[in-house]
Amino acid sequence: MALPATHAPSAETQPIHPAPTSFVKKYVFSLDHKVIGIQFLWAGLIFLLVGGTLAMMIRWQWAFPYHPVPVLGSIFLRGSGGVIGPALYQNIFTMHGLIMIFFAVTPVLIGAFGNFLIPLQIGARDMAFPILNMLSFWFFALSQLIILASFMVALGPGGAGWTSYPPLSTNIGMPGIGQTMVVLALFTTGVSSTMGAINYVTTVIRLRAPGMTYMRLPLTIWGLWLTAILNALFIPVLGSAALLLFLDRTFGTQFFIAGAASVRGGGDPILFQHLFWIFGHPEVYILILPAWGIVGDILSFFARKPAYWYRGSVYAMCIITVLSALVYGHHMFITGMSPMLGKSFMLLTLLISAPAMVLVFNWIFTIWRGSIRFATPMLFALGTVFVFGLGGLTGLFLGDISLDLYLHDTMFVVGHFHFTMAAASFLGAMAGIYFWFPKMFGRSLSERLGKAHFWFSIVGLTLVFGGQLLAGYAGQQRRLFDPYQYTFIQGLRGLNRWTSYFAFTLFAGQFLFVWNFFKTVFARGHTAPQNPWEVTTLEWTRTSSPPPFHNFDVIPQVQRGPHEFANPKVKELLGRDYLGQAEDMPEATAPAAGAARA
Amino acid sequence: MSSALRRAAAGLCVAATALAARADPLPERGYGLPHDASLDGHRIDWLIHFTIVGLGLVFLVVLGALAYAAIRHRGKHTAAYDHGNSRRAALLVLACVAVVFFVIDGNLFVHSIGDLDAHFWNFKAAEANPRMVRVEVNAHQWAWTFRYPGPDGIFNTDDDVVATNTLHVPVGVPVVLQLASTDVIHSLYLPNFRVKQDAVPGSITRLWFQAQEPGEFEFGCAQHCGANHYKMRGVLTVMAADAYERWAAASAADAKRGFDPEDKDARWGWEWRKF
Repeated sequence: MALPATHAPSAETQPIHPAPTSFVKKYVFSLDHKVIGIQFLWAGLIFLLVGGTLAMMIRWQWAFPYHPVPVLGSIFLRGSGGVIGPALYQNIFTMHGLIMIFFAVTPVLIGAFGNFLIPLQIGARDMAFPILNMLSFWFFALSQLIILASFMVALGPGGAGWTSYPPLSTNIGMPGIGQTMVVLALFTTGVSSTMGAINYVTTVIRLRAPGMTYMRLPLTIWGLWLTAILNALFIPVLGSAALLLFLDRTFGTQFFIAGAASVRGGGDPILFQHLFWIFGHPEVYILILPAWGIVGDILSFFARKPAYWYRGSVYAMCIITVLSALVYGHHMFITGMSPMLGKSFMLLTLLISAPAMVLVFNWIFTIWRGSIRFATPMLFALGTVFVFGLGGLTGLFLGDISLDLYLHDTMFVVGHFHFTMAAASFLGAMAGIYFWFPKMFGRSLSERLGKAHFWFSIVGLTLVFGGQLLAGYAGQQRRLFDPYQYTFIQGLRGLNRWTSYFAFTLFAGQFLFVWNFFKTVFARGHTAPQNPWEVTTLEWTRTSSPPPFHNFDVIPQVQRGPHEFANPKVKELLGRDYLGQAEDMPEATAPAAGAARA
Repeated sequence: MSSALRRAAAGLCVAATALAARADPLPERGYGLPHDASLDGHRIDWLIHFTIVGLGLVFLVVLGALAYAAIRHRGKHTAAYDHGNSRRAALLVLACVAVVFFVIDGNLFVHSIGDLDAHFWNFKAAEANPRMVRVEVNAHQWAWTFRYPGPDGIFNTDDDVVATNTLHVPVGVPVVLQLASTDVIHSLYLPNFRVKQDAVPGSITRLWFQAQEPGEFEFGCAQHCGANHYKMRGVLTVMAADAYERWAAASAADAKRGFDPEDKDARWGWEWRKF
């Protein structure tokens, strides 16, 4: 078969390797992208619990400062009688941020979905570099191990905030091995992400099944692919910043230590902020692009209607990917940045809202005139749109220099980035987990528990982060051990306490998911059919649940885009409302079609 | 587990939380922006409120459309076969985006640039005022130290007034601050004046504001600077012009009496920086 030049190599270059038989090869040092994806999922979900527990301690502190933390205090804080002190408090919020961003959301959204979905959705038998893939996971596991170990050393783990700004993060502000270990863990996880990113980028470019053009990729793959490109470009910058900071801490260099009254040095602390945020702002989009992709697909799948203006969504995501690298200066508006530079960053920041709005309007128009099925993944996808709306709109305030004079470093910022990076990423990831769970484990999660989990999550997230926005609007700074030292914050005690109650409820609600997950994975559960959601993409239409080691017996010949729903001709000929990506149109049973199977 | 049991368990959780919460004060007074005591703070307040209203409307319209679509199209009829690929579809989306973008983002950009150039970053006008007050700020873990030039108008001399965590300024006069840090990055934050500015080791940054009414206001640190970040709080006293003059003269005389020429560390000030 003569393939057009744009097509990736097919069957000949993707041989079927024999499946591994030993336990170690199969489940531990596995080369199978599906197993690696599930490894990342476990690693991420466990750390999500750790990060969430730390968040509960922060919320306790803001509600009841100087009171012993119930339950957790008697387990982890024996030495202080269960009470959180100022030094421990800074460790807690620092590790909460680091763990959530780098060791929980990143592995779930990028590690788990990227690994599991990319080959399956583009019609490949595995990643381009399976060994690199395995190394990526084990480097990640190593970095998680370092993070956990840092809790056990003298003076505790990192305490300079998740951004680790020097000079606070150097020995001037944070003596002790813990902060060094945190920096080392960041570097290690950066190595892991870079390996993963190279792998994803290459796989999407080289291993697409015949006929799977770029404009036929599921939006999920677009999100993951653009994320991988950002990762490949900018994680090394974070790595270099971490390495320089490591040298400052360990070998007495002065990259980030400037000469001031009590310290000597020839470096520049602001340099670190440039390095950090030129990675850090793309990082925001690294965490949200996969969620956008997943939401874009799921809204179409469950509205039973083609995704509205697919190309527009793709272009918008591409533009955001480019712009994301050009807006990072808005994190540094009040560091004394040159006014000209500040204004340029403000303009670029405001520009990014235009393509983001294109995505949102496309989502609305997708479900408009659809025929919506409110299954759990759909609820989570709609929830993502809601919280991302709140997060995105509050971002406009913060992209603006004059408003930042007041709002910067307040709880308003905390509320804003939790709506985008925490709420939207979390709900997007959950939409994905509920949706692909049958493909990953061959069983279906309980819909009832899933829906209860959804309502706990959406209401909880909105109230908690909404409470943070209100506190910030009233002027409360972030990261205060005892906010009520300030008279003007004392009136917010009730607000903060209520926000904490909502947070505890939100946390408790997550155990619905834990229970649902364990119950289904380890005990009984309905065996999932091949295509329980009746959708179109290759992993559902062309392989079993869970897929065999080699994914596809025959590499599919892709015929169309991923959102072929509600086509009246299909309805008439096949009696259903969807048509698989590699499925032949019923009347086109010409000899050329290699594989026609529902 | 039966659904009744499950519902009961969920109800119990909610009830337990509600019971625990009932013992605590309801959200109290203290919402909303802190009292604005400054000349230019109202510009920020206006822009925040305009944006809240504008974005609130956008959010409600979008949410309304989402809710309407969710109710109207919940699987009762077949879906429309529409890829939204036509030029008209694209234009519809782009038109929606353009309206929001130009009204909200455009307004933000124009006002912000205008306010910054004419007011918040207009140090030229502030320093042109002959009565303006200059203060050097040294931020360190975990306090703010302020230095006034004294009657001679020159920093680092024997009549400099130095104070920690208390800042006295006259009403109705621009106050220009130059900030430095001794150890780590701090950020001077004056909520009642709607301004803040980082103090960065190795460089000097600046900030200006003008108080419109006498009184005591809090300032604090906005940038995490170590375990006692939360204690880096001080009080700004805005005084009537004559009271300020008396305070300044008395403080300068005190400073001169207490001046120790041997103590070099106490003279951490710098020559007033021209930007």
